[in-house]
Amino acid sequence: MEKVLEVRDKTKTPELNYLNNGYSVASWLLTKDHKRIAMLYLASVSFFFMLGGFFAALIRLELMTPNSDLLQAASYNRVFTAHGIIMVFLFLIPAIPATIGNFFVPLMIGAKDLAFPRINLLSWYLYMAGGLVAAYALLQGGVDTGWTFYAPYSTTFSNGWVVVTGLGAFIIGFSSILTGLNFIVTIHTMRAPGMTWFRLPLFIWSHYATSLIMILGTPVIAITILLLALERIAKIGIFDPAIGGDPILFQHLFWFYSHPAVYIMILPSMGIISELIANFSRKRIFGYEFVAFSSIAIAVIGFLVWGHHLFVSGQSIYAGLVFSILTMIVAVPSAVKVFNWTATLYKGSISFDTPMLYAFSFLGLFLVGGLTGLFLGTAGMDIHLSDTYFIIAHFHYVMVGSTVIGYLGGIHYWWSKMTGKEYSEFWGKISAMLVFIGFNLTFFPQFILGYLGMPRRYASYAEELQVLNIFSTAGAGVLAIGMIMPVIYLTASLFNGKDAGDNRWHLPGLEWRTSSPPPTENFYEPPVVTWEAYDFSDENGLEPRKELTKETV
Amino acid sequence: MSDTHAHDYHPPGLQHQFEDMKQQEESNIIGMWMFLAQEIMFFGGLFTAYLIFRSKYPMAFAAGSNHLDAFLGGLNTLVLIVSSLTMALTVYYAQKNNRNMQVIMIVLTMIFGTVFLGVKAVEYTDKYNHGLVPFATWNKKTKGEAQAKTEAPKEVKNFFASEGGKAPAGAKVEEKHDYINPTGQFQWNSQGESNELILEAQKGNFLTEDEKIGYFTNGEIDQKKFEGRVRIFFWIYFAMTGLHALHMIIGLGLMLWLLIMAWRGTYSAQYYSPVEISGLYWHFVDIVWIFLFPLLYLLGRHFIH
Repeated sequence: MEKVLEVRDKTKTPELNYLNNGYSVASWLLTKDHKRIAMLYLASVSFFFMLGGFFAALIRLELMTPNSDLLQAASYNRVFTAHGIIMVFLFLIPAIPATIGNFFVPLMIGAKDLAFPRINLLSWYLYMAGGLVAAYALLQGGVDTGWTFYAPYSTTFSNGWVVVTGLGAFIIGFSSILTGLNFIVTIHTMRAPGMTWFRLPLFIWSHYATSLIMILGTPVIAITILLLALERIAKIGIFDPAIGGDPILFQHLFWFYSHPAVYIMILPSMGIISELIANFSRKRIFGYEFVAFSSIAIAVIGFLVWGHHLFVSGQSIYAGLVFSILTMIVAVPSAVKVFNWTATLYKGSISFDTPMLYAFSFLGLFLVGGLTGLFLGTAGMDIHLSDTYFIIAHFHYVMVGSTVIGYLGGIHYWWSKMTGKEYSEFWGKISAMLVFIGFNLTFFPQFILGYLGMPRRYASYAEELQVLNIFSTAGAGVLAIGMIMPVIYLTASLFNGKDAGDNRWHLPGLEWRTSSPPPTENFYEPPVVTWEAYDFSDENGLEPRKELTKETV
Repeated sequence: MSDTHAHDYHPPGLQHQFEDMKQQEESNIIGMWMFLAQEIMFFGGLFTAYLIFRSKYPMAFAAGSNHLDAFLGGLNTLVLIVSSLTMALTVYYAQKNNRNMQVIMIVLTMIFGTVFLGVKAVEYTDKYNHGLVPFATWNKKTKGEAQAKTEAPKEVKNFFASEGGKAPAGAKVEEKHDYINPTGQFQWNSQGESNELILEAQKGNFLTEDEKIGYFTNGEIDQKKFEGRVRIFFWIYFAMTGLHALHMIIGLGLMLWLLIMAWRGTYSAQYYSPVEISGLYWHFVDIVWIFLFPLLYLLGRHFIH
């Protein structure tokens, strides 16, 4: 491999890399290479994203008209449940950590692989097994409980496939636990010489925080699902009030995981945005330590706010008060991040490449999503807005507007490293803009709808709300086009894209100091880190980006 | 040093992604601690359920708790603590390059683990014979005589009077099956004493809000309702001890693997991290029991007497 290094042209794809190191099916399905596992995840996560998107399209089509004409209420229940379960458990939670994180955590800290490659592969198989079990339940008729599985409806009255779907979520949970475990150990023990904690890219910090939640939160949902299944099968009396159980206990246990799970979705995305904003402003991020520790703070405080989902569920008002205050507190570290990103932009030499467009989208959409979260965290306000489309709009701004946008930004940013090819920047920019416009058109009207009192989870609604709903459905169409375009031009780039070269964006990070795509063992020689994170100073041996120097001159 | 292996020693399992053994061992140990953190949260959900329902229905829980055999529970606690000692000694002898003592200590640990599971099986059988398995029809099906039924209150009294040492000898008493349970349902037959206690608690206004709803129908004690609350206790008992027993079985599997590896002389002062992380797991499973025993067997035992 060292010989290759001497003659290697850094602008060309290397002859031997992780992608062409074996073509057999077994070399993919039994691989222990984190990069190949990441690609397996990328394919499967994308598949489930499209499946979830299909159900979203059904929902939006049904809501074009006030009456339930396309779908009857019973089938509508199953459709939105399928949308929720697929999107949350099969896409949003694994999307960034298991694909981009899996690929780049070892590369960015200078390791040859994750600490436990076999466990990494196992986690993909668990994910697939869980996904197939959930898909089987869907094919058999699905579930109509909503992705939240609230008792006692789910335990006693629903005639859907609650237990099988729960089993699917249970298995996927263990896949996520193993991913988190792998990341924490890798970040602790596998950093290259010189890669101290405060030289880590912020992407790594956010993955560390995410992994903490994965390890400490996911087992709770696992045991909750187990108890739910027991309650449904054997009537054990834990959740069903008719036999002495406590349905509020289910909500507590469920949200103890599922609220931190929101941070599993958003934290890795914030890590990507930190990378994008610093690197495309060609400037060290403002207040590195604060951004790093705000991730940890979100992970820790995020465990203490679950009760804000129970303001109207019969929780004591004093508990509601405390949870309301804690919700305000968890907003602080998120705000710290946004302020620091904005301050990083100040006097940076900003370039408007596709990934950066996604980063800008993120800033705006996360601002709206986060601030409306504060509305909902205020107990009094929440009583008015609970279970309305305001909630739907809020969490889509956070989950789609922030997580999916960050994910797309990350995919575009690292595409050249993952595949060695350049995608079409022209189509990239157009699709980024379509996503932004389509997204706002879809979900902003829903804030108004919710405020006017349109409840969630109904197939029909009052006639005077139709105009806004048509806006929303139209926006969903634009959003869908914006989402399908990357699939086309990214795939096309694999066949006719230009060779991207080692360092597509001329950046200092470790992952840019190996070939694109990287060799199986990641680096041609063990890297030694002698620079701080986001060090754009001239001494760091970076070639300037030609197009940028032209502009500055 | 009689073993020749010590000289031609190679790190047997340095995996490709690590630079050296030290990094690999560190990773293994942090990995196991993270796994245990996950396990704590996994059991944590059940402990929360226990906490909630004990505070909701303390009398039903005390009544159910009195049907567990504190002597056998205590015996198992002792067995597990000793097995923790032998496990710790395994690690010690691995560090001292002492293969023979390693093997002996692993075998002892496995014996203690098996004894624990055996005692647990005896306890479960006891519940099975007494119609205390809360699941559907998974109890012993008995068709008692009408005459035997009249003796039932006496047997019930036996339950409440029974102290720790009953079960091993008491197994013969159980053979009588003085009650009728043709379909093997969960049964709770405690008219009399617990009712008196509930009424007394009601007089002193000691009942919790949930008990006021959960034990009574129209101001009268509802035996069916009370049975349902005791059944919750037994569900939690079986869920917690069952999950714990599952972990013990996995632990025994680990021990078997350790035994084979130790027999081959794999572990030495230079390389013992599999022994160490298996030890961490074993101690964790022990500690879970240390919490389960007082919560399930001891708490509120004096209540019904």
